[in-house]
Amino acid sequence: MPELDAKTLAYINLYAVLGALENLCEIDEEARRLASRKKPVSVGFEVKNGPSATLTFADGRCTLREGCESCIIKLPFASCEKFNGLIDGTVTPVPSKGLLHVGFLLKSFTKLTDLLTRYLKASPEDLADPAFKEKSTTLMFYVIGAALSQIGNEDPIGRFSASNIVDGIVQLSIADGPCLGIRVKDHRLETVKRRPKKPRARMEFGSMELARRLFDGEVNAVACIGTGEIRMGGMISMVDNINRILDRVSLYLA
Amino acid sequence: MSIPTNQYPNSRALFERACQVIPSGIYGHLGPAEGCMIPVEAFPLYCDHAKGSYFWDVDGNRFIDYMCAYGPNVLGYNDPDVDEAARKQMEKGNCTTNPSPVMIDFAELLVDTVKSAEWAFFAKNGNDATSLAVMAARAYTRRKKIVFFKGYYHGVSPWAQKIDYPGILPEEVCHNIYVPWNDVEALKEVFASYKGEIAAVIGQPYMHGNFADNELPEKGFWQQVRALCSAEEAVLIVDDVRAGFRLDLQGSDHYFGFEADLICFCKALANGYNVSALCGKNFLKNTVSGLTYTGSYWMSAVPFAAGIACIEKMKRLNLPALLKEKGEKLTHGLIKIASEAGFRLVVSSAPALFYLRTADDDSLMLHQAYIAEMVRRGVFMTNHHNHFLNAALSDDDIEHTWQAAKEAWAAVKAAL
Repeated sequence: MPELDAKTLAYINLYAVLGALENLCEIDEEARRLASRKKPVSVGFEVKNGPSATLTFADGRCTLREGCESCIIKLPFASCEKFNGLIDGTVTPVPSKGLLHVGFLLKSFTKLTDLLTRYLKASPEDLADPAFKEKSTTLMFYVIGAALSQIGNEDPIGRFSASNIVDGIVQLSIADGPCLGIRVKDHRLETVKRRPKKPRARMEFGSMELARRLFDGEVNAVACIGTGEIRMGGMISMVDNINRILDRVSLYLA
Repeated sequence: MSIPTNQYPNSRALFERACQVIPSGIYGHLGPAEGCMIPVEAFPLYCDHAKGSYFWDVDGNRFIDYMCAYGPNVLGYNDPDVDEAARKQMEKGNCTTNPSPVMIDFAELLVDTVKSAEWAFFAKNGNDATSLAVMAARAYTRRKKIVFFKGYYHGVSPWAQKIDYPGILPEEVCHNIYVPWNDVEALKEVFASYKGEIAAVIGQPYMHGNFADNELPEKGFWQQVRALCSAEEAVLIVDDVRAGFRLDLQGSDHYFGFEADLICFCKALANGYNVSALCGKNFLKNTVSGLTYTGSYWMSAVPFAAGIACIEKMKRLNLPALLKEKGEKLTHGLIKIASEAGFRLVVSSAPALFYLRTADDDSLMLHQAYIAEMVRRGVFMTNHHNHFLNAALSDDDIEHTWQAAKEAWAAVKAAL
């Protein structure tokens, strides 16, 4: 069995998995309703020797930002393993701040994360609905795109790949679908969930269906480049190394 | 009259067929992914036949081939002298239980030709030779660590790959140490940090890295590397698989004024017949004699006969000088044509293995568009890798390439 780095997984769980709540609220009506609050509420996650970030819910939108100094509800975790347990469902967090708002955690927030789980670990029945499948694939795209940067920054082998990436932005996209940029500066990666203005390299999956099959491991990217189902261009060494990190995304998100 | 642009319906149909039974259709450097065929529709995928400096694809399009099968085609496809030698040997025997004496003839010729060679060991691919070199260095020194220059390519064996490549175990590359090219101080630091642990330094004669201008060694670089290896009792391996014989028939180490302990050859060794060689110094001969290293086809006689004919012909032609002249003529013209079109084409590497880059666009997308237009006009180039010249390339071919370049730049400009 491959060894997974708990700290890398914690970064993925916070920035990529919980970070996908941003996108969930953009594309799902129910999520938007759950995130609609008269007063904004924010949930901070502070992981000892690990990541720290705050999710803020207001006006039907969710935003993630680094740090949790000004959060309303704070959830501290003694270790990356404990935080990863929250995502696994094996650890129940106890707020250190914002007990008066715990109702949001128990109700709306739990419903939001349950909804996200339904999209990310979709059942065959749900995937039979084309609209659900498109939303599910879109969310997977954002989770993978955000996880790429966390692995490139934290995972020992991912950092090796990142050490071989030159500065610039790699654009990842699905044709007629979502698009994001991986910004690389001094071998540090940052995922920006919008279409970059001037990418140095790009890789585009030809359709939602193809992206789904790639994410599910049913087809291989190298083969799809030959058939023209994946388009790449620009500084291909960047795409090449991003693909090596992508290979490790499936390891962490399996 | 403008050059017609190619279409590839038969290539595409064959590729779809191939994908059903071959992983990724065409794997490796000849395939559309690793071959950086961007966009894939601009490139042929299958060859029907080849002759001289050309190949014809399965759609009947002719290409002036500046990749030369990524190096093996050094005299021209189907060279009559090499093919005749191979045919004669084939009539006598090829893959037999006892090897043919032609194997000794070939080894003697290599020892006589390559300055640093005192013996020759034959295999099939460059990767076989580099792997044997590393094994020999480790066996001789009883040390584990191998120093590489960043941007290297030494084949596809696990030791030559990287920790983040699929299927590679960290244990397989944990003794690899990487230093920047042309950085003697970094190499000195590595030798100081791993005193008595370094089995070998392996390097190509100059940096052939992809997606970047190729870099020649700085003055005195190799001489200092040589001195360090000698002082630290590490083996110096030159991977001359790519550049071998195109720079210097006596070996690229000779070209740059030093002597390797082990030197690896393949591509230009036999004009496309399947053979590679590791040549080395006598002090390593006993070690190599004791290694378990062989293959079913490694002593086949036909490639040896072809290799002898190839080396003899390269000598008659004074091949390095010939290719240098052709490469300089070709690339000077390409630079001028680009400039006239308003673009800056940068040429690096030795002229016989020229590397092209369109400046003022660090994404390479402009250069990819240019190369795609060249290929559409029957000039096979790549956008990411050094090119290769062969002796059959004629002045007419160069003129045709220039005409294609003029039209390619016009097409690129029109699309901007």
